[in-house]
Amino acid sequence: MTTESAHDDHLIETRDLWRTYTMGVEEIHALRGVTFTVDPNEYLAIMGPSGSGKSTLMNLVGCLDTPSRGTYVLRGKVVSQMDDDELAAIRNREIGFVFQTFNLLPRATALHNVELPLVYAGVPKQQRIERARQALEMVDLGDRAFHRPNELSGGQRQRVAIARALVMGPSILLADEPTGNLDSVTGDEIMRLFARLHAEGNTIILVTHEHDVAAHARRTIHIRDGRIESDERTG
Amino acid sequence: MPFKEAVIAALVSLRSNKLRSFLTLLGIFIGVAAVVSVVAITSGLDRYISEQVLDLGTKSFSIQKFDAVITSHERFLEMARRRDLTLTDVEFVRRRCDACLEVGASVETNRTAKWRDVKQEGVAVLGVTDNYNRIGSARPLSAGRYLVPDDVERAQPAAVIGADLAEAFFPLMEPLGKTILVGGRPLRIVGVAEKKGSLFGFSQDNFAWIPITTFRKYYSARDSVTIQVAAVSMEQLETAQDQCRVALRARRHLDYREPDDFSIETGETIMDLWQTATRNIYVVTIVVTIISLVVGGIVVMNIMLVSVTERTREIGVRKAIGARRRDIRRQFLVESVVLSVVGGGLGVVGATVFSMLLASILGGVMKTPFSAPIQLWAIVLALVMSTAVGLVAGIYPASHAAALAPVEALRYE
Ligand SMILES: Nc1ncnc2c1ncn2[C@@H]1O[C@H](COP(=O)(O)OP(=O)(O)OP(=O)(O)O)[C@@H](O)[C@H]1O
Ligand SMILES: [Mg+2]
Repeated sequence: MTTESAHDDHLIETRDLWRTYTMGVEEIHALRGVTFTVDPNEYLAIMGPSGSGKSTLMNLVGCLDTPSRGTYVLRGKVVSQMDDDELAAIRNREIGFVFQTFNLLPRATALHNVELPLVYAGVPKQQRIERARQALEMVDLGDRAFHRPNELSGGQRQRVAIARALVMGPSILLADEPTGNLDSVTGDEIMRLFARLHAEGNTIILVTHEHDVAAHARRTIHIRDGRIESDERTG
Repeated sequence: MPFKEAVIAALVSLRSNKLRSFLTLLGIFIGVAAVVSVVAITSGLDRYISEQVLDLGTKSFSIQKFDAVITSHERFLEMARRRDLTLTDVEFVRRRCDACLEVGASVETNRTAKWRDVKQEGVAVLGVTDNYNRIGSARPLSAGRYLVPDDVERAQPAAVIGADLAEAFFPLMEPLGKTILVGGRPLRIVGVAEKKGSLFGFSQDNFAWIPITTFRKYYSARDSVTIQVAAVSMEQLETAQDQCRVALRARRHLDYREPDDFSIETGETIMDLWQTATRNIYVVTIVVTIISLVVGGIVVMNIMLVSVTERTREIGVRKAIGARRRDIRRQFLVESVVLSVVGGGLGVVGATVFSMLLASILGGVMKTPFSAPIQLWAIVLALVMSTAVGLVAGIYPASHAAALAPVEALRYE
């Protein structure tokens, strides 16, 4: 079920998003009414103290989770009312998610990891391999296609994950602390890659603790206790 | 996820857990191996019995006072009250059966044979008519001659002996013309039969054929005889049986409402009895199979649940990049089926090895070549069963995996 929104000029539009976890009798409000919009080709950093709700928000935006209250509209579609299979399709086509811990399938080669979203999209084998190879080349890993994750460095693994996030040509690239598990040199490398992807027209939202990482973005949202504390343009 | 990818993924995950996969498969392995090998062995026995024991396909049959296989005490008492079959009956039947090529008679007893100091125990002494060797499958001779009409008419003390006696008494001498003692009575050897080997461990060469008239004079005059009949042709087999039946009933003045008071046995009637007996073997096998498949199914289900738990993160990743519930469900169902079918396949291989081994052991024990061919239908059945087990055992774990929430699955340590 998809309902068209009135404001389809924004890429993302959230209104009063709440996410409440119930633990026994206790209720934990990880998000307490988050409202913001993101336009195409923005580069947005989300910052905030630990436990403030950054990951929770990213999971909602990435359609890995659904809000307890509020609406989320992505490219004019009301995502907050979709069922499981529709959400899976959105995750497959509209969203590229990059995790702090890479989350590659350990037994599959780099190529096969990148190929997987195309498998679920029903793309034929020949085309899949071609597109996965292109995506690997985009992150400068054309020569590592047949390596397994344990044969790659942390930075290379994260680039495989980025290639996997990009292979379907999503509307947004989401990254939750993508440099969190990397040393600063490798982290810089990944940030330069993000800068290039942004320059090529991608929309990027990333969560980070580090100010110099956030400095790459053109806009920063600060979150505290599940609420937006500030939202400022930086570039 | 397309079917082919799912099968490849399943094989990869099986290979990465070899020992566990093998243990998992044990139940299905046993179940399948049981069906396939029991089917192979019983069908091997069927063939063995029909070819070696019953001379199936020969145009002969016999008429006896007693059934070949007695099924109850009541039936035994009923048959014991029947009239004996006599040589006059044999003559009567012979004249009234034009579909019969040969009508003869035989009586049998067990005696000890002696040549000087050498003894041979448990010799089957058969009193027969001179046409006995032309009824049923022929036993060729290695020396001498068959019994002739004159031997029977004049109750000559002549004997055709089996190879066991010839080997025991005359390892270095010519047996023909020698006189041996069988049950204390002298018999002159006129022929020696070719060696045939043993059947179920019993020698088929420990016998002496003598004229039925001599038998009656020497051992017992009052035994009921077995009428031995060869039909003119295979096509005339039933006609011959009917003519014999009619003749005997007429001779005994049986009313049409009364049942036969004699038993007509062909190889087929005994084969039927054998197959009734093997049906019980099948029933036991089916029970064993069902139990091991149920146990195997439970083990597969358990291991699939473990696999789902271990791969919770993988499921989360797959969902995060667009796998729908049905994609995940299919992945684990396929894995469960592949697991079971591999078990079933190994079971077929195990059964093949096992039945070949058992066949060669049985062949050794029975001293005759014996084979237990694997039946194609049993293989197909076994694979269908293991697929079904895999499907049933996989449904719950697969649905459980499919229902996992992406965030929860990704957060799983
Ligand atoms: N599944 C859950 N059940 C209960 N509480 C949860 C769950 N997930 C998150 N929380 C709570 O929600 C709050 C926000 O968590 P979240 O992971 O979004 O924080 P974060 O800003 O990403 O922190 P960090 O910077 O440490 O990653 C925390 O208080 C956390 O304990
Ligand atoms: Mg977090």
